[in-house]
Amino acid sequence: MAREESLRATKRITRSASSAPTPEKKSGFKTKKTADLCSPSLTDLVYGDPISLDALLSTFPGRKAQILELIKLLGHLNSPTLPLFIYGVPSTGKTSIILQLFRHLNRPFVYSSFRTCYNPRSFFESVLNQLLLHHRDASNGYSSAKRCDRPSDFVDLLRDALTSLIKRLKGSVKKSMPPQLALPVDGHMIYLIFDHLELVREWGKSSSVLHFLFNLYDNLNIPEVGFIFLSNLAPDMFCSNMSYVEQIPVYFPSYSEDDIRQIFLRNQENQKLYSSFLDVVLRPLSRITRRLDELSPTFASLYMQYCKPISGPDTVLNEDMKRRLYSKLNPHITSACNETFRVLDYAAPEAETSTKFEMKACKRKLESSKKSDELDFHLSTSAKYLLISAFLASRNQATLDASLFDSSGGPDGRKRRRKVSQKVMAQQETAEDDLHTKGPGSFPLERLLAIFQCLSSVAEGSPDEDGGSDDWLGIGGEGAVVTTDILLQISSLSNVNFIVRGGSCPLEGSTRYKCMVSEDLALKVARSLKFPLAKYIYRR
Amino acid sequence: MSFSAIKVEGSALRSSMKEMVRFSCKGAVLNFWFQGEAQAFLCVVDLLVTMFILYLFIPPMQTHFVLHRASSGNHDRKSARMKMDNASPADYTGLNSECKDGLWQQLQREAFEIVWSKIENTFKAVLKNINGDAFNEIHSWVLESFQAIRSLGSISSSFEAIRPFPIAIDAASKCLHAGLVLTRNIEFVDDLMTFEDLAENLRSRGCHVANLSSLEFSYDNGTSGCIRSLLRQFLSSPVDAVDMSILSSWYFAQGNRDAPVVVILNDLERCCGHVLSDFIIMLSEWIVKIPVILIIGVATTLDVPGEMLHFNALQCLRMCKFILQSPMERMNAVVEAVLVKNCSGFSISHKVAVFLKNYFTNHDGTLSSLIRALKIACAQHFSTEPLSCMLKVFDEQESFHGEKCGFLHEVISACDRAILSSMGKMDEEGIQDMVSTLIELKKMQDRWSVVVLCLYEAAKCRQVNLLDLLCEALDPDLLSSGRIGCHKTSIKGRAMYCAIQNVRELPEVMVVNLVKSWEKHAIAIPEIHGKVKDLQYNLKFENGRRRKEDLPVIKRTNQNHLNALGGSRAFNETAANFLECLINDFMQPLECMPSHEIVCYKNVEKLKAALAGDPRRQIQVDLLGSCRILQCSCCSGDGGTLRPSMQDTSIMYILSQEHGDLINLYDWYQCFKLILQPLGKVNQKTKQNQGKKDNNEDEELSEVAIQSRGSCGCKAKGDRIICSGWHMDSDKVMTSPVTLGDFSTD
Repeated sequence: MAREESLRATKRITRSASSAPTPEKKSGFKTKKTADLCSPSLTDLVYGDPISLDALLSTFPGRKAQILELIKLLGHLNSPTLPLFIYGVPSTGKTSIILQLFRHLNRPFVYSSFRTCYNPRSFFESVLNQLLLHHRDASNGYSSAKRCDRPSDFVDLLRDALTSLIKRLKGSVKKSMPPQLALPVDGHMIYLIFDHLELVREWGKSSSVLHFLFNLYDNLNIPEVGFIFLSNLAPDMFCSNMSYVEQIPVYFPSYSEDDIRQIFLRNQENQKLYSSFLDVVLRPLSRITRRLDELSPTFASLYMQYCKPISGPDTVLNEDMKRRLYSKLNPHITSACNETFRVLDYAAPEAETSTKFEMKACKRKLESSKKSDELDFHLSTSAKYLLISAFLASRNQATLDASLFDSSGGPDGRKRRRKVSQKVMAQQETAEDDLHTKGPGSFPLERLLAIFQCLSSVAEGSPDEDGGSDDWLGIGGEGAVVTTDILLQISSLSNVNFIVRGGSCPLEGSTRYKCMVSEDLALKVARSLKFPLAKYIYRR
Repeated sequence: MSFSAIKVEGSALRSSMKEMVRFSCKGAVLNFWFQGEAQAFLCVVDLLVTMFILYLFIPPMQTHFVLHRASSGNHDRKSARMKMDNASPADYTGLNSECKDGLWQQLQREAFEIVWSKIENTFKAVLKNINGDAFNEIHSWVLESFQAIRSLGSISSSFEAIRPFPIAIDAASKCLHAGLVLTRNIEFVDDLMTFEDLAENLRSRGCHVANLSSLEFSYDNGTSGCIRSLLRQFLSSPVDAVDMSILSSWYFAQGNRDAPVVVILNDLERCCGHVLSDFIIMLSEWIVKIPVILIIGVATTLDVPGEMLHFNALQCLRMCKFILQSPMERMNAVVEAVLVKNCSGFSISHKVAVFLKNYFTNHDGTLSSLIRALKIACAQHFSTEPLSCMLKVFDEQESFHGEKCGFLHEVISACDRAILSSMGKMDEEGIQDMVSTLIELKKMQDRWSVVVLCLYEAAKCRQVNLLDLLCEALDPDLLSSGRIGCHKTSIKGRAMYCAIQNVRELPEVMVVNLVKSWEKHAIAIPEIHGKVKDLQYNLKFENGRRRKEDLPVIKRTNQNHLNALGGSRAFNETAANFLECLINDFMQPLECMPSHEIVCYKNVEKLKAALAGDPRRQIQVDLLGSCRILQCSCCSGDGGTLRPSMQDTSIMYILSQEHGDLINLYDWYQCFKLILQPLGKVNQKTKQNQGKKDNNEDEELSEVAIQSRGSCGCKAKGDRIICSGWHMDSDKVMTSPVTLGDFSTD
């Protein structure tokens, strides 16, 4: 009841705040306004209904040590604290634990994540909006409480907002109030939580913002403000040779196998079955990763596989049964270990009519033989030749072009088959190794076009090219002429990242390109053209 | 041609986010884009087509009127026509009276407009419907995903909606549902409409939909670009500082929170993987507050997301794939509706069909280019073929009955009056003959199209392209080469043979289905329909007989099995024979019919030239020498100088030529202004403007007026301007819309 009232009060006040047209006016009324604002909507600053410590600990199995340490570091009610720096690899529960911890402590905090705040301005305004209890919504045109671009402005505004807020908090604590009207907030410390700090490093002026954040504790110099930084990276990954106030590092290690078991067992209906499932899958998969967000979808799909052979809910789970289930599941485990992501087919919920199904089955039979080595997407013939020439240009060294595409227009295998000395062989080997370590080679556009012309002239000469071979380039007529259309096709190939721009050559200064197509795909394309690509690929 | 002459240099425009690579080739400039420019290019190409079509319909002495404004084709035609009507009649000497000539022109133009609008509507409808099944599937998946998101939890107050921290849920359920839509087409131009249709479809079913393009996912903009674009599409009012909490609060403010938010991303390949990964992770954190469902268009293979996205982003995605119709299938559908079913009466000859087929499969591969080629063919047909205006009424079924027949009569006599008057008038009998010939032609064409459809139906399983089949069916040598069935070896491997062979090999159930589909196609032609009915009866009879034979045999021995096989062979043979009969009796290629010239476009050389850029060359030459053609008194005289009285587009084009390979927009504009207002005047004007602005507006050209005149020669798109000038090589025309960077002059 009291809560509802407070909600309504907040809404009204924010609306009145928005009606103030200019910032000067706003700041003039500020003290009065915060006096109105503060007491009812302080609930904004806490998480929600508090939970007990036991509930907190049971929600996060395997994190008891960290939680207790954090409670110790945050100290008693209203005791000042040094900035905390919580770090650990992703998906170790940093954010959830800190949020739930504050829910347990019921202390006011401001949270802002650099995942959502993508630049300094959005970060500053997000913090200020929370402190000033301002909601951006349609009634105020989705505008922020304060416009703030520069760090110096931010410090001033932040200081104002914090001091007035702390004053309110202190004042209301001192007043003797009946319990039902008492503040829903414990203490007068305000904590600023900054999540995903590692993302700030990628910002343009990263170092300055980082320095600014780390220095904020000193700059503000308000003992009632606590700082908590959350990051995937250890503190020494952030430039640490500056003189900041010492931050207390708290490390969240990866979960152990037992922790993972406990976490996954938490919400399962059939504990026994799931436990036997975990016996099977946990060991092989936890060797690959211990990240919960990675494991849980894999486990979910594997568990479905695991349960498939079980007919009813009251199946007895004995050793024999377990063994049977394991043998059924085993092939799936290996495939799950190897896949990084999975794309599902969407199965329409409504059943298809039988005739339709039959037709489909027939079609599938007819198509199934071809399907495997067919291209999945449409390419025009000249685009295919371009792709193949780009692949060859990337794959073969430029010096080989002359021998591959000589005047006769085809590869001459005999020439290359003369005896070579040991030394040359060794050189070739290292060159081959280089090719694999460096990835596809880059080539200038001229080379691509020259190879394309050679290939297309070969294709033109081939007898099994069906109707219209005299003019297979469509327009242009005699000979392969580089028209805009060819260049446009290069551009559409580069749109789908088959050809990418490599770095420019330091000597020539012209742009070079790379072909990023895998050999499988290139072979597929060649097969669809009946083009003997394998003959042109240089191998030792 | 030696490639050493090609010099490639990269130049990124200062403030533009698009990468541009410029090839200077023998003095000609060719710009093509790696990011986001193809659409603009298409606009320019469409403009070209429009210009070309107009070009065709204007008699030789009036060529230059065309190029005034290119945005909407309809408007152009009208303005061109208006000018033409106003044109001085002194130039006409060829035909005996200009009013008759005008009538002929008008008839042709009207006929073209009617026929082309029919074709356009038909293929648009076909393309809209072709992905209907896939769209339905996507919609039900969206609903399912939405339910899954809803089950994670919900928010109860606006507080919660805008609070910046995630609602505590399992790491496992922090997932984003993403539908990967495989377009199977690397040319994304064809798919732009598809995704717009999809958005429209989902919107009509109550989802909040936003379309994002790869431009929003550029590295420079970062995630802010995407959010800004989302907010712009969802919120009506512009927002200063963008933030996810705004989106969340907007969603909460929507009374109806049972609608999912669908974000459609057209082309995954062209996005910046880094930004997209960030965006995905961010969306997944807000998933409870804003139930976003992603739909991502993938042009090539399903490996792409794995190659592009960050590992953490991949972990957030729950992906599901949908497959759209491939470009081949879409083209088949369009060809079926436009060329085989003859929605408009306009058709093409064998050679043109072969050319179009090669153009599509070998060269360009986009449906839009095929349609463009068809449009050019259509325009050329109407401009060159005198009797083509009869097509106006040709296709309508009822045109051959009663009063409509009278209308046809009227049209013919109008044509006759207009064209044939110099050769002497056709008498009533002649007109009547013509009407009957036309009716016969129409009937033949209908039969032909039914046979082609039946063949296509039979060949579908073999993945035979309709264009291949069409090319064969249009081949006038088909008749002379003899019966299809007899010369199996000579036509082996060809589409028709494939179709017949397929009927021989199909299982029984499918043959029955096939015959059913034939019946559906043949329903309008009584002769064929009757035959199909007979066939169905025969098949039933045969089936029944075989059943009877099989019935007493309980144990199936090898021999019996063979017998059964032989039985089904006979069954298939009947159907195949029927198909052969159909081909022999009814499929008369169009070019073998009398007076097919009226409906059939045959000039493949001209079409080739048009597609290869011949009209562009002509337009360019005309633009450079506009004075010579206009022969007006105001700007003729010494050849080289530019005068303000010249046509605006011509001035702009000549200036762009003078500047050489790269034009600075600002300089270009300044030159243009200088020509319109010589230097002294400009100074005067600025002084005057400071003093008394309002009074002088009539006399002086205002800045705005010059800019608008200048942009007549350009096509503005967003904040970019593309010049419609094309540079030429000495002998080859290069189509190179020159990108000029931002219009802002900073």
